[in-house]
Amino acid sequence: MVNISVTVEQDHLSMIGDVAEALRARGMQVTQVLQSGFITGSVSEDCRQALAAVSGVQTVDEQLQFQLPPPQEEVQ
Amino acid sequence: MIEPDLPASAGIPPEAGSPAGRGAAVTTGRYIVVFAEDGYEPASVLGSAGLSNVASSRDFQDRAVDITDASGADATVFETLGIAVVSASQEQLSALQGTGGPHPVVLSVSPELVHHVLGPAEYVRGYRDGVADLSARLDGGAAAAAAAPAFEDSNQSTWGLQATRAVQSAVSGHGVKVAILDTGFDAAHPDFAGRSITTQSFVQGESAQDGHGHGTHCTGTACGPRLPSTGPRYGIAYGADIFAGKVLSNAGSGTDAAILAGIDWAVANGCAVVSMSFGANLAQAHPPYTAAGQRALDRGVLLIAAAGNNAQRPQGNFGFVGVPANSPYIMAVGALDQQLAVPYFSARSLPGRGGQVDVAGPGWQVYSSWPMPGRYRSISGTSMAAPHAAGVAALWAEATGFRGRELWSVLAQESDRLLAASADVGSGLVIAPQ
Repeated sequence: MVNISVTVEQDHLSMIGDVAEALRARGMQVTQVLQSGFITGSVSEDCRQALAAVSGVQTVDEQLQFQLPPPQEEVQ
Repeated sequence: MIEPDLPASAGIPPEAGSPAGRGAAVTTGRYIVVFAEDGYEPASVLGSAGLSNVASSRDFQDRAVDITDASGADATVFETLGIAVVSASQEQLSALQGTGGPHPVVLSVSPELVHHVLGPAEYVRGYRDGVADLSARLDGGAAAAAAAPAFEDSNQSTWGLQATRAVQSAVSGHGVKVAILDTGFDAAHPDFAGRSITTQSFVQGESAQDGHGHGTHCTGTACGPRLPSTGPRYGIAYGADIFAGKVLSNAGSGTDAAILAGIDWAVANGCAVVSMSFGANLAQAHPPYTAAGQRALDRGVLLIAAAGNNAQRPQGNFGFVGVPANSPYIMAVGALDQQLAVPYFSARSLPGRGGQVDVAGPGWQVYSSWPMPGRYRSISGTSMAAPHAAGVAALWAEATGFRGRELWSVLAQESDRLLAASADVGSGLVIAPQ
């Protein structure tokens, strides 16, 4: 499974719940639906390609990791 | 490019471009009158000062106003600008300047200057000055640095608040909501007692309490108090409403899911400014942040992010602006030291769209709040520069009412231009409204 962020097209924001349902139907495990147009969750490598074709999907991107230095570091 | 013509002085014609000749400018004998935006009809104001023969840009319809065409008139009014060019006596000028009493209808009356295209002599002089400046930098970098204004922490305020002129600002960010998306916030910190603070954790299994320190430090710089419980002032927008969203764990790590949720929360809560002091070292913009930045701006929310600390300048590695600061719709902030020079770690602009450093802020030895019992700490990084810009943005948001793209614009426009490369500092050091 890979963690992904799906960016929903501007003109589908009012129907973001439907977009999330369609993503679930294609194998995405949806963890959150954000009203500003993002659906996050995870998907298997096998199912990932199919998500981009869902109506209203702008992009499907693997989630990035962010990491701060430890608190004692001088440069943060 | 045009510049004001300059007078002949001591027998040197202006064409020689002698610096000695730079004094009073050559004027046409006419005057430029600037009217207040909500004033009266310019023509009637001019009329009351005895200037009755007035030509208007409205009379010229689709073509440019030709002043020589209108030269028979006492005045030519440019209606859309609220500006007139007038030929007037001293009495008429005095009458114009006195119009309106405490609410002046006329904002200014100035002599009309003669402007001309930069001649070859100026190009040669500019080239010579450029070469001289370059050789001075190469030979005498130390001397040049010594001449630059240096700031230092005082008993009253940090160097960053002095450099950004936040200490002299008449505004506090009152009524402006500022989100700091970071490692959370130490709600027990005594400097924030009584403040309007909303916290929310987007990290599974962790409360919004800051278990790292980074978030409390950044919150302190952007929104710390005017009068801390002890020590110098370190916070800019002391009147702002704080929205501390925890998107990075106590171990300092975070994912898109938490960060996007934090941005969504800040936008839904009507935050005017969102400060994001984290980054991933990826040169390519990440599509979700491009969309998030654009949609936030559409809703009047300005996202401000640290440019990144991935440079090693002494080794010739200038780094690059990372994610999310390299989204074209997110303002990227580079760091400065007390000499307003670029510290070794501060990332440089990428050549591609969105990858530029937009502005710069204090990011070297920045003193701010730290979770108790430490209370305060000084650290460096573009992480510290971004909340300086966010705090200053909150002040501008209060002072002007601007949001979104207009807020971005005023922040860039009002920043102090620096001698450092624009690739490193963008339009320069952010400056608070006075």
